[in-house]
Amino acid sequence: MLRLNPLTVRKLKRFREIRRGYYSAILLVALTGLSLFAELMVNDRAIIVSYEGRWFFPTYADVKLGAEFGLTGTEAVTPVDYRALQARFAGTDNWVLMPVVPWGPYFNDTTEGVLKAQAPNAQRRHYLGTDSTGRDVLSRLVYGFRTAIFFAIAFTGLTYMIGVSIGCAMGYFGGVFDLLFQRIIEIWSNIPFLYMVIIVFSVIPATYEIGTRIGILLLIMVLFSWTGLTYYMRTETYKEKARDYTAAALVLGAGTTRVIFRHILPNTIATMVTFVPFTVVSAITAITALDFLGWGLPPPTPSIGELLKQGTANLTTAPWIVTSAFVALVFILAVVTFIGEAVREAFDPRKFTLYR
Amino acid sequence: MFSSQSTSEAVRFLKICALTLLAAAVAGCGGGETASETDAADAAGREERQAAMRAHMQAHFDSFHALPPAVTEGLERGEITQAEVNERIATGEFEKFFQFRTPADLPEGLVWEDGSDLPEIGSPEAKKGGTLYGSLADFPRTLRLFGPDANGSFRPWILDDTRMWFGRRHPNDTSIDANGNFRYLPGIAKAWAMDRENRTVYVKIDPEARFSDGEPITSDDMMFSLYFWHQDFIQAPWSNNFFKRNFTNITRYDDHTFSLTLPEAKPNMIGRVLELEPLPEHFFAELGEDYVQRYQWEFVPTSGPYVLEPENLKKGRSVTLTRNPDWWAKDKKFWRYRYNPDRIHLTVIRDTAKTFEAFRKGELSMFGLALPEYFYEKLPATDPLVADGYVHRAVFYNQIPRPTYGLWINSDRPYLNNRDVRVGINYASNWDKVIAEYFRGDYLRMRTTADGYGEFTHPTLRARPFDVERALEHFAKAGFTERDTDGVLMNAAGDRLSFTLSTGYENLKDTLTILREEALKAGLEFRLEVLDGTASWKKVQEKQHDIHFSAFNVGPEMYPRYWETYHSVNAYDVPWLPDGSPNPDRKLKAQTNNLQSIANPELDRRIEAYRASDDVDEMKRLAFEMEEILYEDGSFVPGFVIPFMRGAYWRWVKFPEDFNVKLARSLGEYFLYWIEDDVREETMNSRRSGETYPAVDAVYDQYREE
Repeated sequence: MLRLNPLTVRKLKRFREIRRGYYSAILLVALTGLSLFAELMVNDRAIIVSYEGRWFFPTYADVKLGAEFGLTGTEAVTPVDYRALQARFAGTDNWVLMPVVPWGPYFNDTTEGVLKAQAPNAQRRHYLGTDSTGRDVLSRLVYGFRTAIFFAIAFTGLTYMIGVSIGCAMGYFGGVFDLLFQRIIEIWSNIPFLYMVIIVFSVIPATYEIGTRIGILLLIMVLFSWTGLTYYMRTETYKEKARDYTAAALVLGAGTTRVIFRHILPNTIATMVTFVPFTVVSAITAITALDFLGWGLPPPTPSIGELLKQGTANLTTAPWIVTSAFVALVFILAVVTFIGEAVREAFDPRKFTLYR
Repeated sequence: MFSSQSTSEAVRFLKICALTLLAAAVAGCGGGETASETDAADAAGREERQAAMRAHMQAHFDSFHALPPAVTEGLERGEITQAEVNERIATGEFEKFFQFRTPADLPEGLVWEDGSDLPEIGSPEAKKGGTLYGSLADFPRTLRLFGPDANGSFRPWILDDTRMWFGRRHPNDTSIDANGNFRYLPGIAKAWAMDRENRTVYVKIDPEARFSDGEPITSDDMMFSLYFWHQDFIQAPWSNNFFKRNFTNITRYDDHTFSLTLPEAKPNMIGRVLELEPLPEHFFAELGEDYVQRYQWEFVPTSGPYVLEPENLKKGRSVTLTRNPDWWAKDKKFWRYRYNPDRIHLTVIRDTAKTFEAFRKGELSMFGLALPEYFYEKLPATDPLVADGYVHRAVFYNQIPRPTYGLWINSDRPYLNNRDVRVGINYASNWDKVIAEYFRGDYLRMRTTADGYGEFTHPTLRARPFDVERALEHFAKAGFTERDTDGVLMNAAGDRLSFTLSTGYENLKDTLTILREEALKAGLEFRLEVLDGTASWKKVQEKQHDIHFSAFNVGPEMYPRYWETYHSVNAYDVPWLPDGSPNPDRKLKAQTNNLQSIANPELDRRIEAYRASDDVDEMKRLAFEMEEILYEDGSFVPGFVIPFMRGAYWRWVKFPEDFNVKLARSLGEYFLYWIEDDVREETMNSRRSGETYPAVDAVYDQYREE
């Protein structure tokens, strides 16, 4: 629907020339893509089980009970512990292929019969150690990252959809509509977002599934964040609407839809795109901060904020928790910020405009 | 983006608040009255209020009649109307609650006891002086002893642990005497006597007894106290009910002698009376409808050693209690070696991690190490502070009724109303793992709903162990046979075996994540909900929970209470139809402690018999039968008990040789310790110079039970 303006194409080319940003972007996309398949790399379910000549792929399948692999007693009626199965199959024709990190984000691993934070230990394959109840830190980081990044993407998509639509409408139609929405936005943006999250979360019941709760959190955050974008969009639209080419399109008889979608939006994209990475950063920061404060995702959902909180509480006794979480967070935010800088530079209108 | 917005928002909000406050202040000063006019008006108002209070109290004395329990309960259930009761009062059927007699009316042959043969408490080596530094998790919301917010965590400092009461249960001699009473040591009372036949306890107040403002403590204060506890305007429904339901008469014989009559001659009858603290009538001279506001920040004069001067209350920051040098009981046996520090300085530190750091710096004198994380990881015996002897550690096994940590299952909820599901949940809750691996085997599994009551605790009953197969068996009986894709059980209708498990204990939420993972093995899903304390309590009081992890704290009583927690009138508004069958339209009753919504006529019958019984053996038999019924019902999953208290303290805090008393729930509860300021200075100097002391890491197991 949107054909890219030749200027935009040049901007994208320019973006590729800014190395740091470009490679950061590739890295982030790759990590995000990989995290979609985290179950194959970081999980306590096996990738492949070969039992009596038959192959099983338990990763995405239904939970299997021990009886399917010839276990007896209580183990026959409980979901299979694949690490134990691997040990049991050693020396037989049957075998189990475990992921690189054979720990799920919820499994409480004991050392010496005690649940406590364990230091990083390659032999036990806790590469970043465990948290205070013996859950693998790397595993929780990976799944926490996945939640955070997709949360941020969804958040950015939704805020842009609402922000751009309303901002564009305000700029294009102007008049009473513009005036009305400006006031609404002024009032709306004065409601403190954090308190709203806390209030709403204290009344919604925990009977909702974790997915639903994440959805509600997303919705509240979007509801209180779209306003920031409208003003940029409004000015951009005002500016573009006054340009000759828009007037020409209108004179030629183009309808409102056509003018907005074919002429105005493609020309404002450049400005809007520069804000995207920073919106992503703020979304990740916000969800981490909320988790840190205990108002985010319900336990035991893995999250970076929750790890940070545990880490600060065990600063001296288990420094690997806070170190891992902190480094991971800084890394993600730095990568996104590098992309942001590159985008901003590449899309800098002064570089290409005729009105230099 | 968000944070900057909300910060500026907060700043703006604060500014508005500040402006409002300023405006209020200006308005307050703006009146044209002179100081003396205001004073005069105040004085007039005060006299008016005092007269009104006296008249109101007299009217209450004249009109309040003791109703037998059957009538009170009938009234509660709506079987009798107030009008009917009033008619019966008019006929003189019931006696007046408040009566005035002369010493000559005292019955003959009373055997007066004074507990003076009991052993001393504390160490004669204790020295007075010094300051104890402690912390509070939250600033107290009121200094009132009753009414809204008064039942907070600050209450022990101004009521439970620092006032004398008429008598206190001896914390080491926990035997039961020939009359079926615990052994009591004298507090405000000089002597007491009981008349079992007439269910009456007589008390002689020590003529030397004084409130901290110098006024003597008399029988009139006790008359006043009952009047006070009967009033609705104190907004303390529990007190209202307790003092109307559990006493039928108070009689004043002279300034220092009174008697209280109980509706039943329960075991430990004298405890009911001696464990009361009279309130100073003179202090509450202006008592009225505005009690809650008027006395919000007023320190109530105390019979005990510590007072709170107004200048020592730093709102939101700290509270300092000071020892009254003229405390009337300072040389009395049982009291003279206790309450040693001159000052108790309590700072508000809202975060446990921060509190611990403050302790490590020496800014706090003691720190509780109940959580294994602190005992084993953060302050282990190998920690330099402990190894070098600056900080001492102690584990002390105590013998007290145990708080009821466990899972409270609301049996009014869908599927939870099925006994098989509840029993399955019992088998699917792996407390054994939590205790062995998270609490490192230091805690014990709770057995019944009432552990630690000695002979009143069921001797053989044990909680159900973690057993996946038996859990699955019971779930299957309830129709949950198929596993969903994630392993959670489903029934034929496609409903998942999934319940919300909520709690208000932020610091124990790890135990729940372990229970959750283990329960999944048996196909049971717990959805965790960790709330803050107040919100969670509100939730269970409104009976909005599925399963709740919580504990009731219990006092050192002789026998457990069942009515509050298990009687059907505390579960539903109208639990039964007149023919005795369950009422299909019954509604859950909010604001009661029946968190399991348990309504069982067999249980009710026994609770009523237990309540009315005054025979120890019968009560024991009933208690055991009730425990068995509760076990069968399966709506409570016993969790764990902590058989000890443990903590760390700086070496300038000294404890008696046997460390503490049998009933102690925390290091400081009985105020046996003392502070040696010179040792403090010495220790601080040694820390700089590197001089060390022998490490002290002691275990006191003289009261260990198993």
